[in-house]
Amino acid sequence: MTNAEATVSAPAARASRGPSRDLAVRTLIVVLVLAAALVLAYVRADKPVIVTQAVVTGILTGGVYGLVAMGLTLIFGVLDVVNFAHGAFLTLALFITYGVVHSTGLHPYLALVVAVPVMFCLGWVAQYGVLNRAMGRPLENQLLITLGFSLLIENGLLLFLGGNPHAVRFPGDRGLPLFGAVADLSRVLAFVAALVLAGAVYFVLRRTRIGTAIRAVAANRQGASLIGVDVRKIYALTFALGTACAGAAGTLVAPFTTIQPTAGQMFNIIAFVVVVLGGMGNVLGAVAGGLLIGLAEQLGGIYLPGQSPLLLVFIVFVLVLFLRPQGLFGRGS
Amino acid sequence: MRKIWTTVALASAVSLSAAACGGSAPGGATGSGGGGGDTIKIGTLHPISGASAADGQQLENGAKLAVEAINASGGIKALGGKKLELTSGDTQGKPDIGQSEAQRLIQGGAVALVGTYMSAVSANVSAVAERNTVPFVIDVTGDDGILKHGYKYTFRLQPPNSQMGTQGAQDLYEIAKASGHPVKKVAYLHDDTAFGTSVLAAFKAQAAKLGFQVGPEIGYSPASVSDLTTQITQVKASGADVLAVTGYYADSVLAAKAVASVKPSLNAVFGIADGAYDQPQFPKDASPAGAGLFDTNYRQDASNPEAQKLETLYQQRFHDKLRTEALLSYDAVRVIAAGLEKAGSTDRAKLRDAISGTTLPSTVIGNGPIKFDAAGQNINALPVVTQVQGDAAKVVYPAKYAQAGAKPIFPATAGG
Repeated sequence: MTNAEATVSAPAARASRGPSRDLAVRTLIVVLVLAAALVLAYVRADKPVIVTQAVVTGILTGGVYGLVAMGLTLIFGVLDVVNFAHGAFLTLALFITYGVVHSTGLHPYLALVVAVPVMFCLGWVAQYGVLNRAMGRPLENQLLITLGFSLLIENGLLLFLGGNPHAVRFPGDRGLPLFGAVADLSRVLAFVAALVLAGAVYFVLRRTRIGTAIRAVAANRQGASLIGVDVRKIYALTFALGTACAGAAGTLVAPFTTIQPTAGQMFNIIAFVVVVLGGMGNVLGAVAGGLLIGLAEQLGGIYLPGQSPLLLVFIVFVLVLFLRPQGLFGRGS
Repeated sequence: MRKIWTTVALASAVSLSAAACGGSAPGGATGSGGGGGDTIKIGTLHPISGASAADGQQLENGAKLAVEAINASGGIKALGGKKLELTSGDTQGKPDIGQSEAQRLIQGGAVALVGTYMSAVSANVSAVAERNTVPFVIDVTGDDGILKHGYKYTFRLQPPNSQMGTQGAQDLYEIAKASGHPVKKVAYLHDDTAFGTSVLAAFKAQAAKLGFQVGPEIGYSPASVSDLTTQITQVKASGADVLAVTGYYADSVLAAKAVASVKPSLNAVFGIADGAYDQPQFPKDASPAGAGLFDTNYRQDASNPEAQKLETLYQQRFHDKLRTEALLSYDAVRVIAAGLEKAGSTDRAKLRDAISGTTLPSTVIGNGPIKFDAAGQNINALPVVTQVQGDAAKVVYPAKYAQAGAKPIFPATAGG
């Protein structure tokens, strides 16, 4: 509960104060720990190329994790809603992408033109039509509604489209050599797009009137409504932005993901870890958290051979929660 | 005091009426299905929703086709032509739900159960079946442990994980030797659940006997993995000449794609009981990364006219390609039907004895007809080797089961 209270005001407070020294120190610590981890990995691994590959893959998948978590953290930071349907929204975008590519034969990225607006509208409808009625009620109300959305979407897809796996081909996809390691073109592009999107969301939040209104609502919903902000609309807009992020993520990961009704669940687990790690409600924290988790997952396989790569992810997670319960880039209360 | 008696009276009245309802319900239900008490119920338990829904649907459809075929040819003759009826339960892939659904089906009058695709679910259902003395025929579930409890009512059609691992190592060794590129070192990529680790253990034991090295062993979590490039780079750096893979569909596709982009110098990528490399949709999904990939797994018998007919029928009825698992559930229902014919009774204990003594030709490749040992394992179950050639996975080894002259291509550079 203290977490929630502490981070609701995070974006607004950060906006007025700018990056603090404290943040710089924390970033430095994270970078130093990462550097030490890399050195240790190079010492432990049989061949340096394995570590290079782990770092490249970790950064690339980390960017995607950050992208998925970005929408989730935005919704949490502003609405205080733990959105369990985020993975399901991503799945829906995967299927939209598959539908567009399958029926028109166009490049998968062109599906962004369909997936993002559709997911935006759907997010708007979900929040304005359903979730808004439960705002201000106990946390479980919204939580159960989003859980209901996810069940509805997954089972609806299963009912109407069947459970068979599908794939979307990325024309001209190939492995690009990178410092002796390889990276698939589709993954590199997804990573770049994730960074661009994070920048765009950050820009909207910081530099536009709408963004200011969103931050005002996050900081103090009563105060915002007193100065004339339509809080219900801002809620809907924020949720819509969040699901649009899931929509973009869905299209971007489609070329290297097996598309089936439960595909989003895989990202859901990681996305929640990333959100908590980066500081709930912090968009750039989500990107940083994503990169950290991506690297931890990949390096985990090297440090602890024979163990699940997720082991190190959760070790890092527990350590961060222990040392900084509000997340690496979240604000203390 | 009077209050207590009223409560007791009320409670007993409620329970009595509930029992009466329970007693009449099955009759009412069957009445709508074609004449009071004329059908014999078989319960199916598969994951119709959840992550394995596609497989659950295949298994369910297979059982449906079997019931239709048996009813069309006159039902159970020993019981005066009584028709079969399926009652299905959705396990959602969860052991607790599978268990409660099994109880529901048994209370609803199912004479036998078929299922369940997942080891953890099958383990619970087999315990329920044993307690209620209801025969339980496993179509798909590889875990060896399930038949090691000494249960008398559980039977299994598919080869267990240990046999998959052992046979996989043996087949790989023989194929490689015959091609003049004997196996020296096998890197093993596996899902880190009980499925992957148990197949790996059996593979390693057989490899030690045959004299080739297994390593590195690389595990991953199928529920969360989104990239296997680093793992394949590890394989490349290890200098292994064959990569063995045991996993589920999505993660095995990731492995195939990672092999195509990392390009390790392998003679083959060899699935051991892998959930993707023998599937009908895999070559297209992973194209071109799927070309040349092997898999050791249970497989429909393409030379069996019944299996051929079912493949066409399945496509027509369900607008989908038939997977081998559908034939395993098809066979499971046939085993129960054969048991009913032999027992001449729907008594579950007699049915169990009849099933344990049944010999029945299979639509799935095996060393012979379906026949159960004392533990309930189908002793003639046999995994065979498929390879993706062109746009389909074809049986290539052993030669006597190979499809239309298909031969293993070894070495096979993954990704074409």
